[in-house]
Amino acid sequence: MLEIKNLVKSYGRYLAVNNLSLEIPEGEIYGFVGPNGAGKTTTMKIICGLLAATSGEVRLDGVDVTRNSNKIKESIGYMPDFFGVYDDLKVTEYLEFYASIYKIKDKEKKKITNDLLELVDLTQKRDAYVDSLSRGMKQRLCLARALIHNPKLLVLDEPASGLDPRARIEMKEILRNLREMGKTILISSHILSELAELCTHIGIIDSGRMVVSGSVSEIMQKVYSHRVLRIKVSARVDEAELILKENPLISKLSRMEDALQAGFEGSEEDMSRLLAALVGKGIPVVTFSQLDGNLEDVFMRVTKGEEKQ
Amino acid sequence: MNINPVLLKELKVRMRGWRAAGIIILYLLVLALVTFMVMYESYNNIYTSTVDPGRTTGTYTALALIQLVLILFVAPALTAGAISGEREKQTLDLLLCTKLSTRSIVLGKLLASMSQVLLLIVASLPIFSVIFMFGGISIAEVAQLFAFYIIIAITAGSIGIFYSCYLKRTTAATVMTYGTGAFLILGTFFISYFYIGVFLGWDYQGFFPLLYTNPMVGFASLLGDQFGYGIGSIGLPGLRGSTDGRLLGLSPWVVHVAFDFVLTAVLIALSARKLNPVRVKRTRRNAA
Repeated sequence: MLEIKNLVKSYGRYLAVNNLSLEIPEGEIYGFVGPNGAGKTTTMKIICGLLAATSGEVRLDGVDVTRNSNKIKESIGYMPDFFGVYDDLKVTEYLEFYASIYKIKDKEKKKITNDLLELVDLTQKRDAYVDSLSRGMKQRLCLARALIHNPKLLVLDEPASGLDPRARIEMKEILRNLREMGKTILISSHILSELAELCTHIGIIDSGRMVVSGSVSEIMQKVYSHRVLRIKVSARVDEAELILKENPLISKLSRMEDALQAGFEGSEEDMSRLLAALVGKGIPVVTFSQLDGNLEDVFMRVTKGEEKQ
Repeated sequence: MNINPVLLKELKVRMRGWRAAGIIILYLLVLALVTFMVMYESYNNIYTSTVDPGRTTGTYTALALIQLVLILFVAPALTAGAISGEREKQTLDLLLCTKLSTRSIVLGKLLASMSQVLLLIVASLPIFSVIFMFGGISIAEVAQLFAFYIIIAITAGSIGIFYSCYLKRTTAATVMTYGTGAFLILGTFFISYFYIGVFLGWDYQGFFPLLYTNPMVGFASLLGDQFGYGIGSIGLPGLRGSTDGRLLGLSPWVVHVAFDFVLTAVLIALSARKLNPVRVKRTRRNAA
């Protein structure tokens, strides 16, 4: 559905997006992750026709986005990371204003507005002034606005940023509903664990370049070719560390706050032998577990933990 | 009927609350106060003398001038923040990512501001109607003057929208809009007089072309035509001319109105172009 080929966006010598390519099939949810300043917002703005690309191609259903931006805008719903609302406008009026831009008839306008308010759980606030809403409510209203013309593709730039935990859960629930409705979604976030549950595909971007892209399981496989063990001991940590270091299957041993973490290139039998060796030498092992490589780890690993402002 | 959605939304928002009513009250108060003072000065001995139509034209001129000055102050203030305000409030991207064309956004904003100016002009009609008590001015002439106001307001509004698109901050856009207005009113005068004084001599008998762009000259020419004097009667260098300052047989105010139309069209087109992020960048890239 969405196809990006060799996208470049430069500001003078600075490359905000560097030869980026990605593909999102219809009905998929693509998580776009990367540190601040990686080029996520720039890419999203180019997709939505809010920024011109320096070079490269962005196609939605085969149609060139940059050359047909007006036509494409009917098929895209965009929710920016930072946005404002109009003062002196009520929630329903706000949605109806955007509905009128898409020439939706009055009768349908009311129905769509009601449906969307229900979807984002703002029916109770329909007559409230938009600027009186909480941040979480404004985010949900903005999402409803992005859906007003029933777009094929939703581009959501950090939809959960700045929200409290409850609002995050509510937003996640709405996105889950949208996934069930079959929407194709491109979503960026720093909350990678949240994206892992929602997304079918993930792309990790760093310094404007796509570092890893593919299905969630593919990425896990790419980054973690081996297992990661987490071993917690109640005492004799130094001895435990020595035993682990001597094991040829152990790599990248690190001492965490309350546990040891290590890469392990062996089978499950090898794992049980390692545990037996530790216990056999009298190490008081409290926990011995294999970590599921979560996206936070993948992200930090791939982007080398660099946070750019 | 398909009404511009930005215009509808703006009208709804602008008319809500006390701000709109406050502007109208303040505007009419200033206008009424000035009218009272002018009329008091002209007619304080009305019961001891006959009514002189010359006094009516004096009052009319004063009223018309005050209204013009007020419009020139109000119109830019209503438009200079139209686009930059959206940018500052972070609502512009939400508009630009819709299928609404940038021209529709610009026109919607301009028309919304102009309808507010129109409301002020219409609201001032009762104050203007005191002119009719004494005769000398016809309804058609007042209608002509009001049409001139609307054109001037649209031009001033377009200048405001233009800077609002090109400058990020509303304050900067407002300053530049008033600066351009000041240039058109005072700057063109100074340049004309400097040029006439240095190169043509003070006995220059023509109509200096730059002055066609000056709204005050257009206004003076309109009133001059209405009173049957013509602008040449003012007698200032640069405003004379063998055919009473007429270009192609047209009065200076007609030429000025034509200039306003062209300027407005150009400014709206440039504003819409600037607002279109994809178009602007593509052009720059091509140029490079």
